[in-house]
Amino acid sequence: MNTVVSDETLNAFVDGELDVAESEALLARIREDKDLAQRVCTLRGLQSMVRLAYIEPPVADNRKAHIAPRRQLMQRCAFGCLVLLVGLSGGWVLRGRDSQTVAALPAAVSSGYQVVSLAREADPNRVMLHLDSAAPAKMQAVLDQAEQLLNEAEQQGRAMQLEVIANSRGLNLLREGHSPYAARMSRMKQRHANLHWVACGQSIARLRNDGEQVRLLPDTQTAPTAINEIVTRLQQGWTYVRV
Amino acid sequence: MTMISRLLFGPFRPSIEALRPLLYRIAYSWCHDAALADDLVQETLSKALSQRGQLRVEASLKAWTVAIMNHCWLDHLRSRRDFDDVEDWQDILESSADTPEASCNREQVIACVRTAVARLPMGQRQVLTLVDLEGFGYAEVADILNIPVGTVMSRLSRARASLKNFLDTAMQQPAARPLLRRVK
Repeated sequence: MNTVVSDETLNAFVDGELDVAESEALLARIREDKDLAQRVCTLRGLQSMVRLAYIEPPVADNRKAHIAPRRQLMQRCAFGCLVLLVGLSGGWVLRGRDSQTVAALPAAVSSGYQVVSLAREADPNRVMLHLDSAAPAKMQAVLDQAEQLLNEAEQQGRAMQLEVIANSRGLNLLREGHSPYAARMSRMKQRHANLHWVACGQSIARLRNDGEQVRLLPDTQTAPTAINEIVTRLQQGWTYVRV
Repeated sequence: MTMISRLLFGPFRPSIEALRPLLYRIAYSWCHDAALADDLVQETLSKALSQRGQLRVEASLKAWTVAIMNHCWLDHLRSRRDFDDVEDWQDILESSADTPEASCNREQVIACVRTAVARLPMGQRQVLTLVDLEGFGYAEVADILNIPVGTVMSRLSRARASLKNFLDTAMQQPAARPLLRRVK
């Protein structure tokens, strides 16, 4: 067993090309033979250096666009057209639903607001009001709408779920110390168990990143993102009203 | 998005497109020229897409595509008309990059290794990069480059020995610039 191990064999060992028996025999020799261990170590080192050197090869600047074959270009165009078509028809369909919704929802809500529902007919019993502005008029409008909807539902004996979702600057409505209507909101919440205040987690995180302290009013829930909450609710059949 | 493109372009396209970074890395390690590597990858991908009917086993997609790139690379070399004999390219072709010592003066190990790899004869460089960068087995490399497994082993062995020599020299004598000789 004192034959010199060839470089080829050693390389094959490092690359895992030897079969189990050969590997084990070689391993036993490596344990005894320091020179051999050194050679293996060097090879492994070279291998990882080569790997490291090409982990991030430099990128050619702006060349892809020029040399993309026409076929790919055509496919991209086709894809773009398809997206455009889907967008347009989606918009058209939603426009149609919009007007249906307006008819279905109480007049108080539909006047002047953007209303969206994925259901055939907008569900007046599950409504979310979306606020993304800190304008006092808008804030008041949200609360007025919420109160009006809930009162109407109560009068008609309907069990209504209502969420007020606030993100971006609208978050101020739900922040302790910033909300101009904290007392009114607390009263509303006490009166209507099915009213929920939902804050956008992303907006909160952004404010905290800017070094602001964010404390929410009691009974306020947090969603990961407002958009996520809105989309989820829409899929569940809720009606979306942007204030 | 992926679903839509799958529907539009069939399932084959995404898996070939996904090979782009891998192909680019290999192409760059062969030619050490970002623009040329990009061209090579582009050509390879379009050839692979048009010849996909010839591929039988999905598992060998990676090796098959790299083999196509090898052909593209050889075509490119041929078109340069610097060499008349294929056998010669495998042994002679060295990149015109700086010597490793010059790069190591800039204390960039990565640049140094790249330069050292670029100085390897083409045949050795290809075997080395296929084995080390993508972990191809010897048999796969032999298939890709269309050479016997024994040649893969000897080229790899010589490539690593040369690399070690290059790097040792470069690291030990950063100031001096001795004339390097090809080991083979």
